[in-house]
Amino acid sequence: MKKNSDKTNHLIDMSFKSAAIKDPLKMDDTIAANYRGYVVLDPDKDFVLKDETGKMLENSCPTHAITFQNDDSNLQIHLDNGKCILCGNCQVKSPELIKITSQFDLAKKRRDDLIETFSMSVPFGKTYDELGQELKNKINKIFGRSLTIREIDAGSCNGCEIEINALNNSVYDIERFGITFVASPRHADILLVTGPASKNMERALKIAYDSTPNPKIIIAVGACACSGGIFGNNYATTGGIDSIVPVNVYIPGCPPRPQALLYGILMAINKI
Amino acid sequence: MSHKEIISKYYSKLEKFDSDIKKIENNNELHLVLNDPNKLHDFCKFLKHDFDLRLLTIICCDERKLNHGFKIRHVFGSDADDFFLFVTTSIDESHLYFPSLYDVFPSSILYEREINDMFGLTAKENPNIKPLILHDFPNDIFPLRKDFNLNDDVKRNLKQFEFTPITGEGVCEIPVGPIHAGIIEPGHFRFSVLGETIINLETRLGYTHKGIEKLAESMPINNVVFLSERISGDESIANSVAFCQAIEKIAKLTIPQKAEQIRLLFAELERIYNHFGTLGGILADIGFPYGASRLNILKEQIMQLNERLSGSRILFGVNQIGGVKINITDEMLIDIHFVLDDAFQIFEKIFDHLKSNPSVMDRLRNTGIIEKQPARDLGLVGISSRCIGIETDTRQTHPYGYYPSINLKQKTLRETMEHQVELQKRIGDVLSRFMSRVDDLRQSKAIIDSIITLKNDGLSVSMDDELIPYSSGLGYAESHRGETLHWVMIGEDNSIFRYKIRTASFSNWPVIEHVVLNNIVADFPVINKSFDFSYSGNDL
Repeated sequence: MKKNSDKTNHLIDMSFKSAAIKDPLKMDDTIAANYRGYVVLDPDKDFVLKDETGKMLENSCPTHAITFQNDDSNLQIHLDNGKCILCGNCQVKSPELIKITSQFDLAKKRRDDLIETFSMSVPFGKTYDELGQELKNKINKIFGRSLTIREIDAGSCNGCEIEINALNNSVYDIERFGITFVASPRHADILLVTGPASKNMERALKIAYDSTPNPKIIIAVGACACSGGIFGNNYATTGGIDSIVPVNVYIPGCPPRPQALLYGILMAINKI
Repeated sequence: MSHKEIISKYYSKLEKFDSDIKKIENNNELHLVLNDPNKLHDFCKFLKHDFDLRLLTIICCDERKLNHGFKIRHVFGSDADDFFLFVTTSIDESHLYFPSLYDVFPSSILYEREINDMFGLTAKENPNIKPLILHDFPNDIFPLRKDFNLNDDVKRNLKQFEFTPITGEGVCEIPVGPIHAGIIEPGHFRFSVLGETIINLETRLGYTHKGIEKLAESMPINNVVFLSERISGDESIANSVAFCQAIEKIAKLTIPQKAEQIRLLFAELERIYNHFGTLGGILADIGFPYGASRLNILKEQIMQLNERLSGSRILFGVNQIGGVKINITDEMLIDIHFVLDDAFQIFEKIFDHLKSNPSVMDRLRNTGIIEKQPARDLGLVGISSRCIGIETDTRQTHPYGYYPSINLKQKTLRETMEHQVELQKRIGDVLSRFMSRVDDLRQSKAIIDSIITLKNDGLSVSMDDELIPYSSGLGYAESHRGETLHWVMIGEDNSIFRYKIRTASFSNWPVIEHVVLNNIVADFPVINKSFDFSYSGNDL
């Protein structure tokens, strides 16, 4: 009996408070944590964007708010929150990339600001072999023969040479992709130049460039060749090989690993 | 014997030569100041004949700002004692001449040429004062003088380099380089040949000169460690250890034992991967690609191990002043032992295969023989001297870091005798250098094997105090090419006043001109590869 009376008392004593939310622009507990308010592209730490994931996401969206682009060098996902109906379908498909927040401060002054972009460059998720196969197909298509490379050391510390030599060992074996290193610039399609271009090598580099038949591609390998690196531009160096010869592709790194070199060569081929 | 006792032993005898010699002691360095530069020649003769000292390097330093004129330090080392002798002379600005030692120490020719290029001081009697490092520079530009700015734009005018003309009936010249057919560094070789036989070779290097010594003077001292790693990419540990040790000597820092152990582990790993690569290169140059590719796989395995340990495939970014940046845990140590055990098991199999292959052995034997006397005169170090039985190993003659604590397993009498017999076969040809490298590899493996537990006393100590201006120190290490010396003089505000680098490549390069004589042109690549000098480490 006592319990019953307590309950009734409580009902009767309930005082009427104002139902209005005091500060509607503040997030408070009236908004549930799992409320679907805004979709963001927030990848997990080790998330890798692959071609199939992108296509799957694009197809999963009923209003085509998600678009996926696959350039050769870049994978991109665009998410247009102006089109999104907050169905949550995409989050189910790829929870590693897409997060839905309970945010509501969403209004933007420009339409474009509603579009979010996430991009990731190609070699992530591609192995050395896949990269090489792609390169091999491209070389076959464009040249119909092997691609020939002449390496020129314009004053490097020989770190880059170690890695370029590693391309030729049995582990990386670049020849299986149809790429050979040749002994003369006259036989070369590509000049692979390392070093900050010491002043003493300036003339030799120019002569080698002139001897290479057109069309030719020049790749700067390593931080030194790109900018002078730690040696900079001093009395004995020229601060990057692009001060002497035109450069098509820059491969950074000190030294760039064999995979990075192969990727740089692929990019150079894609430029043709 | 302690450093003090060694120094007093030498000094008591040196005093006899000249009574007004000033003496400065610095750890294992004894600095003697000769007031009269004209006495230098006789004094050095006395040093050579009475003490059997080797000329290690000649350091010039522009100290006009301190009213000392140009100071020239001749550095001598002993193979018997852990001891360095600096003989210092001052050259007045008005003279710009100093006495040459070419008839006492023929190796001095090269150092004197370098000083002529970089400081404009001429060694009077030196028979060969051609430009060494600077190509096509004006005659009045001397980069290492203090009144020259690092970033000065030098107007260069094309000059023809005068090679020594070799004439006679049927003599041809073959110019090679600076860009070579293989993936190697640039340098020019001018062969004079009679038929197939090389009768003269003149090398012209300096193509990769990047102004490292001058650049260091403008950099904060902690950043110079990165510069020292890039003197020669494949010697990154040896060079950075030598530099760090020079600074630690000046700052009187004692670094943690664990840091010394880690430096030693990385130094030996560096030696191993480079020797694998060089042995592979020798085999590639004699047309035995099977052996070359097998050895290059081993090199790649060690480089992948390097990457797992340090984050860099060629061990950049390991050292810092006062210790190391990279920790090695017990699991990593197990990884090292595991990979090396595996690699050396395969290596021994390949080596057995090579030894029993007459076409390989025949090609290596009697190719590129170096005689003992020129080897001594030129002051060869490292593998180049060990291949003829001259034992120069900085790790033994001037023990540094953790090397004194290493106890290798004692050889049995039989093993010692077998080794002695083996050494007798070393006549200074390519095969001897091949075998010396194999010995070196096995020794490195044994050194790493002897480290079973790592100490636990931190990775580095910090250098808080400001270094005393114009104090100096010599750092040294044994790279896979040989003895590496770094001499540093501190300037004001912890800057570097002078940084002199002498890699093993610099002192060894001249030997190539002697070794190739009477060999055929086609053997030049394998002879060159058997020495495996660094062009970048030579040109700086």
